[in-house]
Amino acid sequence: MGSTTSFPAELIVKYGLAGPRYTSYPTALQFHEGFDAEAYRRHVQRSNDYLIPLPLSLYLHLPFCKSLCYYCACNKKVTRNTSRADDYLRHLFREIEMQGALFDRDRQVIQLHFGGGTPTYHADAQLRELMQHLARHFNLSREDSREFSIEIDPRTVDEKRVANLAKIGFNRLSMGIQDFDPAVQKAVNRIQDQEQTLRLIEAARENGFDSVSVDLIYGLPLQTAASFETTIDSVLKARPDRISVYNYAHLPHLFRAQRMINTDEVPPPEVRLELLASTTTRMVEAGYVYIGMDHFALPDDELSVAMREGTLQRNFQGYSTCRETDLVGMGVSAIGKIGNSFAQNYKDIETWQAAVEAGELPTWRGIGLSGEDRLRREIIAAIMCQGLVRFSEFERSYNIDFNDYFAYEIESLKPLEEDGLIQLSEQSIKVTPTGLLLLRAIAMKFDEYLIKDNAGKAYSKVI
Amino acid sequence: MATERQHKPQFSGRKQVACSQCALSNLCLPRGLDASDTELFERIVLKSRPIQPGEYIFRAGEPFRSVAAVRSGCFKSFVIDQNGEEQVLGFYLPGEIIGFDAIHEKVHTANVVALDTSSICGLKFESITEMARQLPVLQEELFRVMSLQISEMQANAADLSADERIARLLLSLSARFAKRGYSATEFNLNMSRRDMASHLRLATETISRVLARFQNAGLISVNRKKVAILDIEEIQKIAKRDKSKPHLL
Repeated sequence: MGSTTSFPAELIVKYGLAGPRYTSYPTALQFHEGFDAEAYRRHVQRSNDYLIPLPLSLYLHLPFCKSLCYYCACNKKVTRNTSRADDYLRHLFREIEMQGALFDRDRQVIQLHFGGGTPTYHADAQLRELMQHLARHFNLSREDSREFSIEIDPRTVDEKRVANLAKIGFNRLSMGIQDFDPAVQKAVNRIQDQEQTLRLIEAARENGFDSVSVDLIYGLPLQTAASFETTIDSVLKARPDRISVYNYAHLPHLFRAQRMINTDEVPPPEVRLELLASTTTRMVEAGYVYIGMDHFALPDDELSVAMREGTLQRNFQGYSTCRETDLVGMGVSAIGKIGNSFAQNYKDIETWQAAVEAGELPTWRGIGLSGEDRLRREIIAAIMCQGLVRFSEFERSYNIDFNDYFAYEIESLKPLEEDGLIQLSEQSIKVTPTGLLLLRAIAMKFDEYLIKDNAGKAYSKVI
Repeated sequence: MATERQHKPQFSGRKQVACSQCALSNLCLPRGLDASDTELFERIVLKSRPIQPGEYIFRAGEPFRSVAAVRSGCFKSFVIDQNGEEQVLGFYLPGEIIGFDAIHEKVHTANVVALDTSSICGLKFESITEMARQLPVLQEELFRVMSLQISEMQANAADLSADERIARLLLSLSARFAKRGYSATEFNLNMSRRDMASHLRLATETISRVLARFQNAGLISVNRKKVAILDIEEIQKIAKRDKSKPHLL
C-alpha cells in the first residue's frame, strides 16, 4: 500500500465478512477422518518418487504454556507440571523417528519451525536435544540460507537464552507482544515488560538471528486507537524485520480461554477499523512493506524481496520465502502438506500420545486433493502471494479455457472490480494496492467449497 | 515394486482396430503397408481395455503368445535379480512394441507393468510372422524395430558416467516423444526416480543430484513430472552423441 493511498475504510467494512486465511486450500474444514495414516504413507511415498523430490520443511508443535493468555485460540496446555512436558517430548522423539524413516534421506530440511503453545517452555538443554534428534532422523541443511525459526515468550527468555537458541541452530525468531498497554495486558493476562521485550530484539540481532518477527493483536479488550498507537510507535523504534498484526477474533463459545475476557470491553467494529487504519498507515509511513494478510516487513527483508520478485510462498505459518517444500507436521494438532495432500495429527495430547506409544503415526484426518482442488489451490496462491493470476499459465497446465471454465467466478468478481480491489482483463486478474488489504475476499471467490455451501460459517471476520 | 492387481483378461470382447486411422500409424508396425495390406494387418490386431497403473501385461516365465503395441500411456519392463531387487530394463511409449524378448525361448523373460492408465494393441506373434512371410515390408519393419530396441539396450550397457547416462536417456525420450507428435523439449515422465535409477543402474540420489545440477545450470527444468529441455545442445554434448553420425533414433 503506497503511503499516498488513503485507507479505504468503507471497503473494509463492506468486505468485512467471514473469510478463511487460506494458509491452505482446501481449508482445514475439508479435512476428514477417511484420510488416515495409510493414506499419509502413500502420499509420502509418492512424494519420494518424483525425479527431483521437494526438500522438506518441519513443523514441531510444543503446546505447553506456564500461564494462560485469555485471547488465545491456539492448541495449548497450561500447566506448571513440567513432567507432563517431559513426557510429551519423549513421545515427540518417537514421532520424529517414525516420520524420519518415511522420507528419503537425500531430501534436505531447508526450513523448520518450533511453534505452540510456548516452545521455550522447555529448557534450552531439552530444545538442544530435540534439535539433535531431528538431525539424527532427518537430513538438516547446513546452509546459511536455511530458515530455522522458533517462537519465544519474551517474559521467560533473556539474552542468555537467545544466545543459546542461536547455538542450538535457530536463525529466525518470532515473539508475541500483542500490546504494551498495562490495562490491556491485565485484561488478557499477559503482563510483559516493554523494555525487556525490545531488548530481546536487539539481543537476537547481536546473536546472528537473520529475521526477527513480532506479533501484535488489535481488537483486544480496552484497546483504543491512542493506546495502540503508543505500542506501535515503541515497536517501530526497535525496528523488527517483520511485524504481524492480527485481528482478535472474540469467539468465547469456541475458545474457552476467551471466556475470561469481558465482551463489553472488546472494542466495537468502528474502533477496530480505526485501529487497523492507523496501524497500517503508521507501518507504511515508517517504511514497512505491506505483504498481505496482516504481515508487514522491512523493504530489505526477504519477504519484501520475494514479493518484488514474485517468489513469495504461503504456508501454515503465513508467508515464506522458501523454495517449495513438503511440510512434515509433528506433535499434537500439527498439520503437514505432502504433495497433493494435507494431514493433521490428533488434536488432544492423550490421543496423540496413545497413537505414538502404540508405534502408529498419529494421523487424525486430512485430505487428498482432487485435480479441481489443485487448480484452485494454485489460483488462490497466485492471488495471495503474487497478487496476479495469469490465465495463460493455467490454460497450459490444466488444458482449460480460463474465462470459460471460471465464468461463474469471474462474474462474481465484477463487484470487486467495480470497488477497485482488482483489475480484470481477458488475460488476467490483478490485485490492486487496495485489494491487497482484502486478499481473502478475492481468494474466496475461487473457493469451491464456499461456493457450494453458501451458508455462513464461523470464520473470523476479515476485520 | 509395482503393486499387483487382479488379473482380468485384457482382450475379452474382441475390439477391432482401424490401424489406418490410428494416430500412431506412421510409427507402428503397419507403417510401410499400403491400404489393402493394412486392412489385412488390422484383422490380427486386438485393442485392449484401459489398463490401470500397476497392472501387469506380461510376467516373466509366462508362455509367449503375443506382443503388445503401446497405444497410449507408458509401461516399464523389469526383472528381479538374485537379491530380490527390481532391475528396470526399459520404458515403452505409444507406438513401441513390447515382448520381442520372448521370441527366443517362447517365454517372456521380463515383467511388464503399466506406469499410467494405458491401453495396448495385442498381436498374436504367429499371425505376425505368418503375415510377414507374405509382406516383405512388414518383415523389414519387424527387423527394424527389433534392431532399434537392441541398440537402445547396448547404449545402456556401455561404461558411461552418471551424467552421460542421464543425458542419453533424456535425449532418447525427447526423440521418442517428438516422433509421436509431442514436443521434443517438454514432456511428462511417469517413471519414478527409483525406476529411472534402476534402469540406468545408478543410485536414486544420483538421479536427483544430476537432474538438479542440470537444472541449476539451466539445461533443463523439472517440475514434478514435467521435464523441459532448455539447452538440447549442451545435453547432447554431455551425452557425447557424435553429431556426424545420424541419430540412431
